[in-house]
Amino acid sequence: MTSSQGQGARIGIDVGGTFTDFVLADPQGGGLVYYKEPSTPDEPSRALIEGLKSLLGKAGLTAADVSLLMHGTTIGLNAIIQRRGATIALVVSKGFRDILEIARSRMPSSFDFHSSKEEPLVPRCAIVEIDARLSAAGEVTHAPDEAEIARVAAELKALGADAAALVLINGYARPEVEIALAEKLSAGAGGLAITSAAAIWPEIREYERTLVACLNAYIQPLMQRYFAGLRQGLARDGVEAPILVTASNGGSLSLASAIDRPVETILSGPASGVMAAARLAEAAGVSAIISFDMGGTSSDIAVAHAGSAELATRTDIGGLPLVLPVVDVSAIGAGGGSIVWVDGHGVLKVGPRSAGAMPGPVSYGRGGKEPAVTDCYLALGYIDPGGFLGGRMRLDKGAAEQALAAVAERIGLAGPDGAARAAEGALAVTTAGMATELYKTLAARGLDPAGFALVPFGGAGPTHANLLAEEVGIGSVVIPPAAGTFCALGAVAADLRRDFVRSLRRPLDAASAALLQTVFAELAAEGTAWLDHEGEQATGRRIERGVDMRYAGQAYELRVRLNEDCRTQDAVAEAFHREHERIYGFRDGDSPVELGTARLAMVGETPKLTQPRIPAGSGQPQANGRRPLFRRGAWLDAAVYGRAAFGAGDTVSGPAIIEQEDTTTILLPGWSARADEAGNLHLERQPS
Amino acid sequence: MKLDSVTLAILGNKLAAVSEEMCLTLQRTGRTLYVKETADFACALAGLDGRFFAYPRSIGVSGFVGLECLPTIAAVGPLEPGDVILTNDPYRSEGLSTHLPDLHMIEPYFHEGRIVAYGWCFVHCSDVGGRVPSSISPVNTEIFQEGLRIPPVKLMRRGEMVPEVRLFLDANSRTPEANMGDIRAMLAALAAGRRRLEQTIGQHGAEAVCVAATDLMSYAAQKARAVLRRVPDGTYRFSDYLDDDAATQLPVRIALAATFADGTVHLDFTGTDPQVATAMNIPSRGRPHAWLTLRVLALVNTLDPTTPLNAGLLEPVRITAPEGSLVNPQEPAATGVRHAAAIRVNDVLNGAFGLALPQVMPAASSGTVIPVVMAEPDGRGGRRVQVIEPMIGGTGARSGRDGVDGRDSGISNLANNPVETVEAELGVEIISYALRPDSGGAGRWRGGCGMELTFRALTDDTNVLGRGMERLLFRPWGSNGGRPGAPGELIVNRGLSGERRLGKIDVLTINAGDTVSFLTPGAGGWGDPAERDTGAVLHDVRNGFVSAEAAVRDYGVVIHGGTVDEAETRLRRATMQPAGGHGPERERWDSVFTPELMDRLNARLVALPGSARQRRRRDILAQALCALPDGFPRSGADDDALRSARDRLAAAAAAL
Repeated sequence: MTSSQGQGARIGIDVGGTFTDFVLADPQGGGLVYYKEPSTPDEPSRALIEGLKSLLGKAGLTAADVSLLMHGTTIGLNAIIQRRGATIALVVSKGFRDILEIARSRMPSSFDFHSSKEEPLVPRCAIVEIDARLSAAGEVTHAPDEAEIARVAAELKALGADAAALVLINGYARPEVEIALAEKLSAGAGGLAITSAAAIWPEIREYERTLVACLNAYIQPLMQRYFAGLRQGLARDGVEAPILVTASNGGSLSLASAIDRPVETILSGPASGVMAAARLAEAAGVSAIISFDMGGTSSDIAVAHAGSAELATRTDIGGLPLVLPVVDVSAIGAGGGSIVWVDGHGVLKVGPRSAGAMPGPVSYGRGGKEPAVTDCYLALGYIDPGGFLGGRMRLDKGAAEQALAAVAERIGLAGPDGAARAAEGALAVTTAGMATELYKTLAARGLDPAGFALVPFGGAGPTHANLLAEEVGIGSVVIPPAAGTFCALGAVAADLRRDFVRSLRRPLDAASAALLQTVFAELAAEGTAWLDHEGEQATGRRIERGVDMRYAGQAYELRVRLNEDCRTQDAVAEAFHREHERIYGFRDGDSPVELGTARLAMVGETPKLTQPRIPAGSGQPQANGRRPLFRRGAWLDAAVYGRAAFGAGDTVSGPAIIEQEDTTTILLPGWSARADEAGNLHLERQPS
Repeated sequence: MKLDSVTLAILGNKLAAVSEEMCLTLQRTGRTLYVKETADFACALAGLDGRFFAYPRSIGVSGFVGLECLPTIAAVGPLEPGDVILTNDPYRSEGLSTHLPDLHMIEPYFHEGRIVAYGWCFVHCSDVGGRVPSSISPVNTEIFQEGLRIPPVKLMRRGEMVPEVRLFLDANSRTPEANMGDIRAMLAALAAGRRRLEQTIGQHGAEAVCVAATDLMSYAAQKARAVLRRVPDGTYRFSDYLDDDAATQLPVRIALAATFADGTVHLDFTGTDPQVATAMNIPSRGRPHAWLTLRVLALVNTLDPTTPLNAGLLEPVRITAPEGSLVNPQEPAATGVRHAAAIRVNDVLNGAFGLALPQVMPAASSGTVIPVVMAEPDGRGGRRVQVIEPMIGGTGARSGRDGVDGRDSGISNLANNPVETVEAELGVEIISYALRPDSGGAGRWRGGCGMELTFRALTDDTNVLGRGMERLLFRPWGSNGGRPGAPGELIVNRGLSGERRLGKIDVLTINAGDTVSFLTPGAGGWGDPAERDTGAVLHDVRNGFVSAEAAVRDYGVVIHGGTVDEAETRLRRATMQPAGGHGPERERWDSVFTPELMDRLNARLVALPGSARQRRRRDILAQALCALPDGFPRSGADDDALRSARDRLAAAAAAL
């Protein structure tokens, strides 16, 4: 049952490249309803509107029963990566026209003299300088007169851009100066939408702040059109429920906020999946997890503790750094479509090229000639050629084996079982690659994977999870029930959330500790005002506070979370010393401490999602049959189970194969799988 | 290669990842700016031969893959588990360290009682004593001025830090705590590498791991040879100059004959100047040292990005670096700013390779890295010292592609500083930080633009340091008909009353209200500028990378009312004359100091005893120069003067 104070159904929607996924949580009828509709990339709202109708039909509900839509989309992200956003202009303080060309002055590769820099979002000819700037202390040292403003506005107008961004040097120190200027310029330029960098993200570092504003302006017209079209389309079908849009920080925003600040939504897809994994694992009593999302082209991991995901404040979006807080997702290598090949020196390789959806792996029979990771699963008996996508797409196992036999020959594995041995080798290479990336990702944060459970999702996540866990020394894997529609599931449960910052940059003393409290109060007031306008979805409110700090003279800052009662200079300093000790192994009690950026997140809690309970089992589920599974050079006889056959408490031992409509779980010898009351499968290494 | 294809692929990946995980540990736990921001560190795994078989690709300093650990290991005698060797001495480590601030550590990794591999790491630490804060200064004349020399010693003995070594370290640094913070981070990195290697041995066996180490090197060597085989066999000669040696006005010459033959390359630096009396010497010990071979690694990696990074890459490379020369100095030559010379060594390799591979190699990049430093009075008798920006230029153009504006990763790939954090910490107003229009060398493909930084001091008696300024005289050269980039400049109070155009500065003192402008050189162009697509020129003019005047002057492209006047452009282009790629200064210089003469002179100078080399060189060049007018080669000289200078030089060379 879902426990919701809302009367009607909540629907989570994730618009992906291949499928648009739906999850419906119905407080009346109980349980969750899942649905997948092929995406329509040319006009994404079409698949959404069509799929919604089918979903409601499946659930036996009408448009009037829907109380809330929670929507995640990659439209903004794709526009940025493919550079298909709006034509935008940038207004910047005099002397800094090249802010985007120079960026942080690094090349993507220091070793490849053919490498090039990222394509700037705004060409130099669409960047206008204005004689306006502030000092670091926030005094306006150059105030533009009316003539200067008129000149810039006229130039903006002449550029004919769809939207613009404005950034003043030191604008972060007093956002209201820049906001007022943006309004004047907009008025002078015929109402052109102008994103003020200081308004949207008042943090020190002009290049990064400029990018936040430019990215926002770049995708705003597109997102605005999309949401307007969606609203209309839904209204035609009688769906009048409010829409929340999921955000990169794992939360969500009202439609109005999302149109205002679409930059906050660009990484919402992966963020939702991680949040779903974190929440479901916590509900299953598993606190520290590594989420493992294995899709067609790549695999991603993220770390979460006690139901909340770790956030990053510097991520890469198609070669551009983004400093907004986002769920910290790292790519660790191959996906199901990654290609298996042999290089000119006879060494076996997997990826980075991917067969994608077209032509896809050899076994798809769509013209793919090179074997992919999915073909390896098939050749090893991991997946059933007749059971892919619930049997809607038959795979050609013979073709996969033939392609892998050719690989086997090139690496000296010809002979009986050559294809299977090559496939097992390719998966070993794949898994080792993922493991090394996972180690590195955790090493950068000082974490040891052994203390975590792996929570796989995505089409291939459950298939590969046991292999990865075995390789990295993780003893526990938790597989939630609907691993294939996970991002939509995360969306339906997302809280409302918005992050606020203020740069302080001063020594920590009694006065600045008091100032910090004042700033928190101001940010909280801003947050409260925001949440008041987001609609009535929130059932509770929560504030998270933090501040970046460092020892004087240190070159880097630590993000430190502050509890509400952490108010005095001593308490704030102690929170920093403790965090420093945790990360670096020592504290420096004699050294003065400096405050950097103050951070506050306003969270509007939405009703918690609870998974439907499954009935108790008999101890062991009924097997559907048996299938040979290739492991360590030999064929094993593995039992095949349907996922639905598991009752709560049912346990099986590996080798075993557990199938469900959207994915297959492989259980290795030496491991057991047990279903809990919520239908999660817990894979555990058996004590030897 | 002995391992099967699958195991080699897996171990290749895992072992490289061990080195990267060491780096991540070091970066996470490190203390100083060098580690955190500029990433001036590296970690690797070395085999029993002391060469790196696993080296990180995506983090830390990539160029040191060719360093050798064995002389350092041999110097300390038998090793036990828990021992860690420390050294920073270029001479006693035989080129493992190349200047004293680089602390290098080596830990033997044991398995069942015997050494199976070595963990290595280095960090550029804040200060190891010496004459100046941060220890390096271009005008140091001997290594003894550059700080504490640490010959290979055991810092850790069976897991315990040796107290006497610690006492020496602490007593000889201006920043002992920061150093110890970084040293602890290095120890943490070595321990992380040890644990992960143990785990890998547990999974695959010690035998397989050791075989993988040698297999990976032969794999890289095979790939490197395959790339080098694509270079037409032959000998390619190139030379280039540093504007001066930081103490005198005399240019410093680097000469190279690169001979490619069947997948190998021999780099012969004969003809390079004797070691200098300043700190730019590269202590290579005459081996294929990292600082002399960086461009070879980049060439292999550019043409085959799948090549694993390890010492096998250098197997096809041989070096001749005459002892006593700039590229193989004798003790006690100072080496603190060896990277300044290495930038030009990189250019010379690039130029020679470009003769062999004109379609692949770019023209010269801007070739300068200037950490612009401000030291302002703090009102309490001291000074606040901070880097304003590390100023670089652009990259050279190549066939099919313009150079990159305002970026240059040739020798180091440092991030800049946000203007706002600089203004928050120093009393300075940054007036502009921008690309420098019209600085990129003209060509069918345009060289990358240099940059300009203009700032105003807000405090009297402020010092500005511009070490690393280069290419103010000899321009970044163009290639295959491309023109050179504009030379660098330094201007005080640009466009204001009291404007002064200065050359190189060491320390400049200015007062509140004064402005300083650093203009870095542009990079070289590639191909005849008269062949540049007129649409590309128009695009450059519209975006302000090239002015309309320069479009006419350098490209013969006439723009009226925002479009190209094709007819007039054809007329202008028909009259354009091809011009040299090195610029007038270098052409004038070479007309007296001809390559043949300089090769001969330097071969003899290098053979002289240590102290005589520099003195004789100064005397001989001074004799030739005094026949020429002041300002040469910036300004020209008449034929008589040129002839007279050439004769004097020839006579002096013959008399040696």
